[in-house]
Amino acid sequence: MRRKQTSGTIAVLAGLLILLVFVIIGCCSCWGVLNRLAPSGGETPMPVRSQATLRLAYSPEKEPLLSELVTGFNALGLTTPDGQPMTVETVQLEPDAMIQGALSGDFQAITPDSSIWLDQLDRAWQEQTGSESPLVGQTVRYAISPIVIAMWADVAQGMGYPAQPVGWLDLLARAQSDPNFGWSHPSTTTASGLLATLAEFYAGAGKTRGLTEEDVQRQSTLDYVAAIEKTVRYYGEGEWALVQRLLSEGRGDLDAFVCQEQLVIYYNRQAGSSSGPALVAVYPKEGSLWEDHPLALLETPDLTANQRLVFSRFVEYLQSSETQARVLAHGYRPTDLSISLSGPDSPFTSDLGVDPAQPQTALQVPSPAVVQVVQDVWWYTKRHTNVYLVADTSGSMEGEKLESAQEALRIFVEQIKGDVERVGLIEFASDVYDVVEMDELGRNREKLMAGIDGLWAGGDTSLLDGVKVAYDRLQERGDTERINAIVVMTDGLENDSVISLYELISRIKEGNARGVRVVVFCIAYGDDADLNTLRAIAEASGGDVRRGDPETIRQLYKILSTYF
Amino acid sequence: MTMDRTRLTFFVIIGVAVLVVVCGVGISLLPRITGSLGLSPMPTPAPAAETLEVRVVCALPVEPWVTEAAKQFNAEGHTLEGHPIHVEIVPMDGLTAKGRYERGEFGTEGSPYPTAWIPDSRYLVELVNATYKDLRGRDVFLTDGEYRARPIAVSLFAWGIYATREKVLREKYGEIDWHAIHDAATAKGGWPELGGNLEWGYFKLVVPNPNKNVGGLAAMVAAAGEYYDKNIIGVEDVMDPAFQAWLGELMGAVTDFSSLGAYSVENLALFGYSMGDGGQLLESDLLVNMQGIQTRWADPLVIVYPQYVTWFDFPFTVWMGPETTAQEKNAALEFEKYLLSPEVQQQALKRGLRPANPDVPLDGPDSLFVKWQSQGAKVVVPRATAMRSPDRDVLDALLKWFDRNVAQR
Repeated sequence: MRRKQTSGTIAVLAGLLILLVFVIIGCCSCWGVLNRLAPSGGETPMPVRSQATLRLAYSPEKEPLLSELVTGFNALGLTTPDGQPMTVETVQLEPDAMIQGALSGDFQAITPDSSIWLDQLDRAWQEQTGSESPLVGQTVRYAISPIVIAMWADVAQGMGYPAQPVGWLDLLARAQSDPNFGWSHPSTTTASGLLATLAEFYAGAGKTRGLTEEDVQRQSTLDYVAAIEKTVRYYGEGEWALVQRLLSEGRGDLDAFVCQEQLVIYYNRQAGSSSGPALVAVYPKEGSLWEDHPLALLETPDLTANQRLVFSRFVEYLQSSETQARVLAHGYRPTDLSISLSGPDSPFTSDLGVDPAQPQTALQVPSPAVVQVVQDVWWYTKRHTNVYLVADTSGSMEGEKLESAQEALRIFVEQIKGDVERVGLIEFASDVYDVVEMDELGRNREKLMAGIDGLWAGGDTSLLDGVKVAYDRLQERGDTERINAIVVMTDGLENDSVISLYELISRIKEGNARGVRVVVFCIAYGDDADLNTLRAIAEASGGDVRRGDPETIRQLYKILSTYF
Repeated sequence: MTMDRTRLTFFVIIGVAVLVVVCGVGISLLPRITGSLGLSPMPTPAPAAETLEVRVVCALPVEPWVTEAAKQFNAEGHTLEGHPIHVEIVPMDGLTAKGRYERGEFGTEGSPYPTAWIPDSRYLVELVNATYKDLRGRDVFLTDGEYRARPIAVSLFAWGIYATREKVLREKYGEIDWHAIHDAATAKGGWPELGGNLEWGYFKLVVPNPNKNVGGLAAMVAAAGEYYDKNIIGVEDVMDPAFQAWLGELMGAVTDFSSLGAYSVENLALFGYSMGDGGQLLESDLLVNMQGIQTRWADPLVIVYPQYVTWFDFPFTVWMGPETTAQEKNAALEFEKYLLSPEVQQQALKRGLRPANPDVPLDGPDSLFVKWQSQGAKVVVPRATAMRSPDRDVLDALLKWFDRNVAQR
């Protein structure tokens, strides 16, 4: 009976096994049929969805315009033929960082402030890859803006403008003859800074065209440019940041600065003066230069067909009459020539400090090779720096905070290219310590790096004493030829200094009036930093306060390095 | 009984299994069986006729017109032998396209091989043919027969100068030609020396960068023609040190040869007299930008025709290599016919181009030549001498001279 039951079970199992085999065969047959019936054919691979997000890098001064336009484009809800949403993602970068990012394939399109960078990018690409094909592909323009000298209306009137044309030479002569005249231009890492520097080299060479490498490197030209650069108060990360600072902190001691025309309109609108423009755009009589804001597709090896399509649609969007009207509204000159600059909605009015019939003439743009020499030589002719890095190493800095700050300090030192710039390092906790004496970077760069590596946290916060020591050192040095500055960073409240805030501020004000002018840039590191104290110190010296945290501190020090 | 039930279960399972297999195999063999029996196969949806893609690399001066025409062509649903035709236009300067053909850079992933090319001038076609004759032993673009290169429009080179500046030059020199422009360009005192305003600075010449815009090369050829007072120039003319010095002085008056240099007339319009007082540029570009210049700048532009005339003929040229199919080549010809139709040629006229189809008159109602007669535009150009297309060696010599002496200045 048991045997019978067993043989029956075996028979059922065998039947099930056979059924399984036959089911598999049947399924395979059906699969074959289904494949034959499938419309795409059995041998066609599944289509690969290609990336439809275009990553676009833009220069900082275009922030208000680009954010509005990109938001508008993304809101259109366009899709690619394979059904993916067309999206533009943006990243804000200074042109030099943009070139590095483009070479690394970080984005598929760029819109720097000037075409001048596109040539440099292609040169760098060809050096990097040896390719004859340029990286810069289809390039279009949607907005242009001339470079002007922005002056406060009373300063411009004092120089006879607009009845009397004013030029680069007038500005430079005024800066040399009047020690109280403050002017600045961005560093050569932005088009405005580079073009202002080119204007200086032209003036130094006694030309308005045909600038050669020999002209740039001639000793008389270098001496002229160096003399002019000595009159610069300090440099900075760019015209956009400067305009923001002027809006938030007021006029300060700056009489003139170099920027794009549209920023004059922007400032005057934001400032909202009812008695005429606060700032006036002076179009230099020797000639201006234009920023043409190119939008360029980068022909990177991994550029997808969809990204190319997104670029095309974005170009169409930028060049549409509606978008071009927005370009005008932001104070740029639109590339759509049917839009008049004199129309009723145009901001190109004397009330906003600009003149649409200007500029009358332009300086000649030298070849990329000459431009490169100007950029290289500028580091030797620019106004040099004595800067103290003053760092908080109190107990609250322990851990990630100090590590991030150390990395930021290292970046600061790396970013300052010129070996003749002087940098020193002071730390403060319960006491103040001279970590690395101030010296030219050519001599102490390695010491600084080692000093930064060796910082450790512990003790209280003698912030005011730390600033005082650095300030006194700079006064003792008495070097009026250079920019003298302190970059101080703290994460907490002052609690252990001998000097009071009142005494320190009085000391700075008196010292700056009588002796060497020292600017203090303060970094409030984290939420617990004593912002009011830092603000008082910065204001007394004509400096600035920035907020930072372990995430942003590296970028902040990098930005501050451009001031020197 | 138990034994019987087990057997029954076993046979039921076997039966089901056999049924599944028979059905599966039967379905899979059905098309073959019905086919062999001459019966109609199982009805399947009829495959859509494959679209013929025509990819046209197009010179920049005619690109807006050709792109517009391609949109209309695609919208009208043209077909060839039952296949729909779709045309895609790829804007590219003639010299850039020539370089890509010669370096074999077309046909990469995401960028299919162009079916046809509309360069600025016939001589670019000849240059690419010469390269491929060395590589493949035959022409890749034909010069006769059905697939030969045919001009789709023509545009001359003419002087475009801001009116205030043109007046001063006329008073100073009488005629405006390359000699007068050279003297103006080299005037050490700038515009005041020529009789113009101090604030105009130096005379600023507009010449496109020949490495980025073939119009720059055409300007140098035209300048050489007037320098030597003849309509054909050779390598020995380009190599003459006296000519090179003269041309170098002329090029020294160009404000910008950087990336901006690719756009020429657009620059003249956008940046106005600040970047250029004038230059010898493509007539169609001048006509198209005339209105914009008057809107943007108070000073209008004036057109002056030179004695030695150069021009672009924008030949539609079908690629004869195996990278595209015969049907695609024929589809390209369909688009070419469309471009030459009177209606589409009329659109070219609206963009300042001289139609290649002789049935379309230049003085029609939408003609920019008529609209801008007051600014010097002419339907018929008088007493002109046509410059002959220079050969490859002359063009190479001019480009090399430019690279060594101007691009590196």
